[in-house]
Amino acid sequence: MPTRRPAALLSLAAGLVVIAGGTAGLLLTRHPTQVIRPVAGVAALPAPTGPIVAPPQSAEPRQVPRPVSLTIPLIGVQTPLITLGLTSSGALQVPSLSQISVAGWYTGSPRPGAIGSAIIVGHIDGHKLAGVFYRLHLLHPGDKVYVRRADGTLVEFRVTLVQTYLKDHFPTQAVYGPTPDPELRLITCGGTFDVATDHYLSNVVVYATEVS
Amino acid sequence: MKFPRRIRRLLMLLAASALLLGIPAAATAFATPGTTGTGWIRLAHLSPNTPAVDVYLYSFDNSNAKIVLDHVAYGTVSPYESVTAGDYSVAMRVAGASPTSQPVLSTSVTIQAGHAYTVAGMGPESGLRLQVMDDDLTTPIGQSLVRVIQASLKDQKVSVSFGSTVLASSLAFASVSPYQAVLPGTKTVTVTAGTGDANSSVTLAAGTVHTLVVLDGATGLEVVNLEDASGSGKPPLGGVSTGFGGTAPRGPGSPVPWIAAIAAGSLLALTGGLRLRRRQLNTGI
Repeated sequence: MPTRRPAALLSLAAGLVVIAGGTAGLLLTRHPTQVIRPVAGVAALPAPTGPIVAPPQSAEPRQVPRPVSLTIPLIGVQTPLITLGLTSSGALQVPSLSQISVAGWYTGSPRPGAIGSAIIVGHIDGHKLAGVFYRLHLLHPGDKVYVRRADGTLVEFRVTLVQTYLKDHFPTQAVYGPTPDPELRLITCGGTFDVATDHYLSNVVVYATEVS
Repeated sequence: MKFPRRIRRLLMLLAASALLLGIPAAATAFATPGTTGTGWIRLAHLSPNTPAVDVYLYSFDNSNAKIVLDHVAYGTVSPYESVTAGDYSVAMRVAGASPTSQPVLSTSVTIQAGHAYTVAGMGPESGLRLQVMDDDLTTPIGQSLVRVIQASLKDQKVSVSFGSTVLASSLAFASVSPYQAVLPGTKTVTVTAGTGDANSSVTLAAGTVHTLVVLDGATGLEVVNLEDASGSGKPPLGGVSTGFGGTAPRGPGSPVPWIAAIAAGSLLALTGGLRLRRRQLNTGI
């Protein structure tokens, strides 16, 4: 039956094509942390002006003023800081859907410029628009971050590390644990957006240390 | 239509390698959490009858000091400095002595990434030594961690309590108590010693690490409360929900359809391959 031979070959060839396509698709889904977002329209801001405070001494710790605003010149972030607590389930509270352009400081963490790791979070996006931390993942070690405090003074931080973690493997100790110097953690979402749960699967965490 | 055997073999090989390649692709690992490769060190003078000193920190194999603290007097503890992990040495010279002169004391310290150390001049001047302490940077959730350094020469032994919790009992001069986890709050720290007691109000917050240093004051004993490290007293649970997906690329989310496609493709290729082979055997080519 010579007519069956092309059919068999066709089946073999089609099978190979489907395997190749499937593998390519699978490879794409397995790289959620490497999504490249458009960076057009980044308007770098000038560094804020004001008295920059020196890091605190560890002896007789004194309360530093509360944080009021955040500036990240390189990625055009300039936002007031709202206060955030914990949800009833113990997760970190986040700004509401109407506040996607505003970042917030977790009041259970040290104040920025005091000894310890201060936590500031902001949204990557809303249902349609980009959020305050849309470009957070573009920061690199050495970039500057400024926090203004209630008395008008500025705390200057330098980025030391930018990491993306699956939320299922969030490094609680590294992010929220004690540090012996004044540090900052900026947190937003990243990676793949899971349509089924309406959540991003990863968090982007920027680690920064006060400039001394 | 005849296909040479070589081409058929090649097609079979391709099908097999596609199958093999498709499986590891599903197991692609995510990036592991990284560290910055830095640790922390602070330097202290806790020898009551030793005059002020200049303290130097050298990186191993580098004669240029990384940190120099001039005229450090008894009772001084520097803030933590962040340094690259590695081997260092700490040297003490009499205040104002030439940086190239022979140090009075020196010691080596290995700084591991993510760890903090206190290097203190301890003991009486006649038996001065540099002690390296490995400082703790973790607290049990909801608690504070505290230890005591006994640096009073006037009283060879002291007992220290935070409220009703005993932190150190008959702690000898120039020694350090182990860390102790305590319930946070503002309480009275009481130092009991032969020459008299000392009291002071101390706040220990959840998620913080403290060192209480007992010093000889101008009149009696003094207690210095050092905040060594601080974090979130109540660490939030899990990740943070900071996005609504409006800017997310609407790409393929689940790997399941792709795995199904690979399986279907494999079945199709296998069927085709087997039919070719069967025909081959039937016709005796």
